[in-house]
Amino acid sequence: MIKFEDVEVVYPNGFRGLSGINLEIHQGEFVAIIGLSGAGKSTLIRAVNGLVPYTHGTLSVGETVVDPKNKSKLRKLRSKVGMIFQQFNNVGRITVLNNVLIGRSAFTPTWRSLIGWYGHQDKEVAFQSLERVGIVEKAYNRAAALSGGQQQRVAIARVLAQDPEVILADEPVASLDPPTARKVLGDLRTIQRDLGITCVVNMHHLDLARDYADRIIGMRDGKVVFDGPTAEATDSVIAEVYQREVSAGDQLAPEAEVSSKEPG
Amino acid sequence: MSAALSERPVTEPRPEPGTDRPSPPKPALAPYLGLVLLAAAAASFFIWNWEGQAVLFLPLGDTVLWAPRDPLLGLGAMMLILVLCWRLRVSPMGAFGGLAIVVITYWAGSNIHFIDRIAEVPRRLTGGNTRDQLVGYFNPDWSYLLFQNVAGTSRPIWGEWLITLCMAVVATIIGCFIGLLLAMLASPVSSLNTGTSQTVKAINSVVRSIPDVGWALLFAAFLGGTAYGLGALAAVLALIMFNIGIVAKLLGESIDAIHPGPLEAADAAGATLVQRDRVAVLPAVMPSFISYSLYVFELNIRASAALGVVGVAGIGGELSRQIGRMSQGYENVGAILWALVLVVLMVDLLSLWIRRRLL
Repeated sequence: MIKFEDVEVVYPNGFRGLSGINLEIHQGEFVAIIGLSGAGKSTLIRAVNGLVPYTHGTLSVGETVVDPKNKSKLRKLRSKVGMIFQQFNNVGRITVLNNVLIGRSAFTPTWRSLIGWYGHQDKEVAFQSLERVGIVEKAYNRAAALSGGQQQRVAIARVLAQDPEVILADEPVASLDPPTARKVLGDLRTIQRDLGITCVVNMHHLDLARDYADRIIGMRDGKVVFDGPTAEATDSVIAEVYQREVSAGDQLAPEAEVSSKEPG
Repeated sequence: MSAALSERPVTEPRPEPGTDRPSPPKPALAPYLGLVLLAAAAASFFIWNWEGQAVLFLPLGDTVLWAPRDPLLGLGAMMLILVLCWRLRVSPMGAFGGLAIVVITYWAGSNIHFIDRIAEVPRRLTGGNTRDQLVGYFNPDWSYLLFQNVAGTSRPIWGEWLITLCMAVVATIIGCFIGLLLAMLASPVSSLNTGTSQTVKAINSVVRSIPDVGWALLFAAFLGGTAYGLGALAAVLALIMFNIGIVAKLLGESIDAIHPGPLEAADAAGATLVQRDRVAVLPAVMPSFISYSLYVFELNIRASAALGVVGVAGIGGELSRQIGRMSQGYENVGAILWALVLVVLMVDLLSLWIRRRLL
């Protein structure tokens, strides 16, 4: 589904964000990327939808090669690749529904967006997305008035409104309290499994990665240093990725009682 | 993992609270001595350049020295600010800033003989016809404002107020809308590319550099006069240019400062630039835009009075006609000025109310 062939990212200031990445992420996989700050996790995720242009190699999503220079091709690609952020990145002053409709941008003529007149079909998709994340009753609330967990659900609904093949998530639960983080991630996991969406998620917390991901990719200094199924990511392997012992600080909630089964 | 949990980091012994608290570092003496020299140099320049007459007599034993008053006052202020900065342990850079403000203020004030002119004010107020003017202003002729017509026409004076308001409304709506578009194009956050952004910013600077009265004169010259003086059109066009300049500048800076997250989210969803500006930028700056628009409306009411000086329509035109015949009494001008205070106050209250409701 997502294929990195010898991908490199060198930032304009000369900093090497990624080097020699070779990866293949399969359709319907839930992949967690772990690593310390500055290891290149964000760069890897942002290279997929061209928010960070890669400078060498070939990166393709499905049949499409990501071309950071071609804006209209990039927009077409982005319409199939949704993205969730640590800070939710909702527009605070407009309604939840309008935030979700931002996800319909690529399927809406510009003039319609300009006067804010979305079609019935688009609204239907938006409402279905909100139902899926369980906050449809908040549709006409201002996004800024919601709690952190609800805001991240709005962001997930916005991405679902794109009807995506791939969801990229950059530290999606790092701003949430531990129980909420587990609920939101659990919901994302359920939705991803139900719809067969490929999911690539950056994470700080080892226990979350182990509880939710099919596969774990460890990064250090812009390189992939571990890649394997979750069961293989033992403490000693992770210690190798982090170049230090795994400690309690790498966990979100050491004795997790909230399970992913709990409804949102 | 549980073994790792039980390991608590060992805390180092801390000093007793209340002891060994750091005090702000003392600034170095040498830079301050340099600043004193700088102040002395500035003061000697001011003394050498001094053109005033006022002198101070300094009794020194049995001889009396005289010294130029103003440069000495300036030197005193410079030394005062340096001593103050030293006592407050301001860094030498901060002290230099303080000294620079004093020196520049003194230099600017002395060039326009500010202290001498201020000293003349009491004499000027008591002489001439100031008393008559003041009496006129405080006894405004309200019947003139309410019942008389504009000289030589059948239009009532109060109707000119209506025209002024209408000019302000039209100019605000058109000017703010164009200002919004230009602000979007001017900010690198929402613009097409850096080239467009720089160009539009340059155009905005030119628009802003011409004052409202300048625009009114220009439009009046282009469009020619009408039977009713230069007419409302020139004034409205001038106000529109004036408003574009203000809104594009202020709103452009608001756009520069918005949180980039939602923009990234819109980009990641495959939105076009126009879509992104509409769904992510506009909602973020809407409160500022409304606030600036209301402010600009207030400015327009005030500015249209000033535009009267160049003979355009509205109450400003009437005000300049009445100023022209002030030798026959000040009651009419007084009535217009008091009414202006009243109207601006009312617009102010109205916009305050709208702002509270909307934001």
